[in-house]
Amino acid sequence: MKRPLPIGARGGVLIATAIAGIVAFVALGLSPSQLVPQRGGLEVVRDFFARALSPALSYESTFVPEGTQPIVVKALGAALQTVVFAAAGMSLALVLGAALSVPASQAWGGGVLYGATRTLIALMRSVHELLWAVLFLAAFGFTPFAAVAAIAIPYGGTLAKIFSEMIDEAPRGAALALAGAGASRTQMFAFGLVPRALPDMSAYAFYRFECAVRASAVLGFFGFETLGYYIRASFENLHYGEVWTYLYTLFALVVAIDLWSGALRRRFIA
Amino acid sequence: MTEVERLWRDRPRSRFLRWSVAVLAAIATYAWIFGDLRAADSFAPERVGRFVREVLPPAPDWGRGLAGMGATLAMAVLAICLAGLGGLALTLPGARTFATPEAYLPHGDEPSRARRLSWGAVVYGTRALQLFLRAIPEYVWAYLFVAMLGPTAWPAVLALAVHNAGILGKLGSETVENLEPATLRSLRAMGASRAQVAVAGIWPASLGRFLLYFVYRFETCVRDATVLGMLGIVSLGYWIADARAKRFYDEMLFYVLLAAAIVLAADVGSAWARRAVRSAP
Repeated sequence: MKRPLPIGARGGVLIATAIAGIVAFVALGLSPSQLVPQRGGLEVVRDFFARALSPALSYESTFVPEGTQPIVVKALGAALQTVVFAAAGMSLALVLGAALSVPASQAWGGGVLYGATRTLIALMRSVHELLWAVLFLAAFGFTPFAAVAAIAIPYGGTLAKIFSEMIDEAPRGAALALAGAGASRTQMFAFGLVPRALPDMSAYAFYRFECAVRASAVLGFFGFETLGYYIRASFENLHYGEVWTYLYTLFALVVAIDLWSGALRRRFIA
Repeated sequence: MTEVERLWRDRPRSRFLRWSVAVLAAIATYAWIFGDLRAADSFAPERVGRFVREVLPPAPDWGRGLAGMGATLAMAVLAICLAGLGGLALTLPGARTFATPEAYLPHGDEPSRARRLSWGAVVYGTRALQLFLRAIPEYVWAYLFVAMLGPTAWPAVLALAVHNAGILGKLGSETVENLEPATLRSLRAMGASRAQVAVAGIWPASLGRFLLYFVYRFETCVRDATVLGMLGIVSLGYWIADARAKRFYDEMLFYVLLAAAIVLAADVGSAWARRAVRSAP
């Protein structure tokens, strides 16, 4: 018996990747000699990881102004702010995603509306949330809503894309039966297709909430007081113990959401 | 009671789901009411109007723009290649079905305690390393590498590579663990060594999956590469941050659009690669 060779299209992708990697290396003008750490470079890395198991429980600066909150309280406050932006952004993204997913699904029809929605979704998704943040900060000035919008737009696009694919992949039986009984297209969607796709859609939305929390943390680099703001500030002050305190807070937040969404998935997808 | 009412009453319900939805809705409500988001203030007409006049039309600087696109894409490509190699190296030692004293062998002699423990150490050590690499966000890795190596493209490349190697290693190990063991067992029973099973059994059976994950992470790498330049590495992100600092918003919009273009191009390329991989024999 002739066994199919384990190369072919997959081998082609592998070879193309290898060539692209070499071209990229040459194009960037990199050389391995640049990988030798600069003076003091190794010390930074060593000092940073040396604090991994001893995150700061009090501030590392010699001068702490009177009335400053303890670092644990500050970390929890930053975590709350992180969740606030993520939750507000996600709730807006859900509205956008749900609204756009219908015209973006093939089941709704095709034509101009489908193409236009798909293009809009692609544009929303292809700009990174930090770049949306840059645009909204320029447009609105430094307001918290700029951070919310920066999450809502790209995540709304992603939700719309995935939701529409889930609707298209949902079992069609109920929808066809409804259509046969004279249901309108809206009724067919609302009672035939969406309910079948809903468990997958909610599981995915929950997963994106976890991503939104990470994104919200990074938005702190623009000055919003989320975990990223304090991670950056402490890193720049060489207070690595504090960096770990904020990093562990972020890990705890992400793991908690992950466990929660995992528990939900097990109940619904299984 | 009608049939429909009975069906409705007996529908599957879960208290956990209801509570979850309620808690999430409460968090969202809290965020909008007490989060001080100032949504309405954001749309101050004169401010937004001025922004629109400043940002449109985008001001193209094709020389910088194209070079920035090339650099950004090259960083992502090199990063994902290194991440793929790293992830591959972390795949087998992290797979519980492979890194055991008697991989795919019928239960024979009980392996010695020392061998069991040392294989256990390999698996859990590798898993811990994978977790460590991916748990630290790429921007923290980037900070560290900038501090260590100075401002070349390496910090961005290595940050993306290290973070994604952890992710790809984990996904790879899970793929190997989920392989159908029958073929691998029969290979082994015919006398194949552990290495031969890896090359002739595991590799062809899991390559497709590996490539799908690889392509999926490539898309993320391109997205992230568009912003990592903000750390001072000359690429699109650098020019965006530069234009932002000078308040040249029309120039900034041009670079943002170029960033969107390479993300879209990467999506198209990876969709093509995915189709090729899926259609493979």
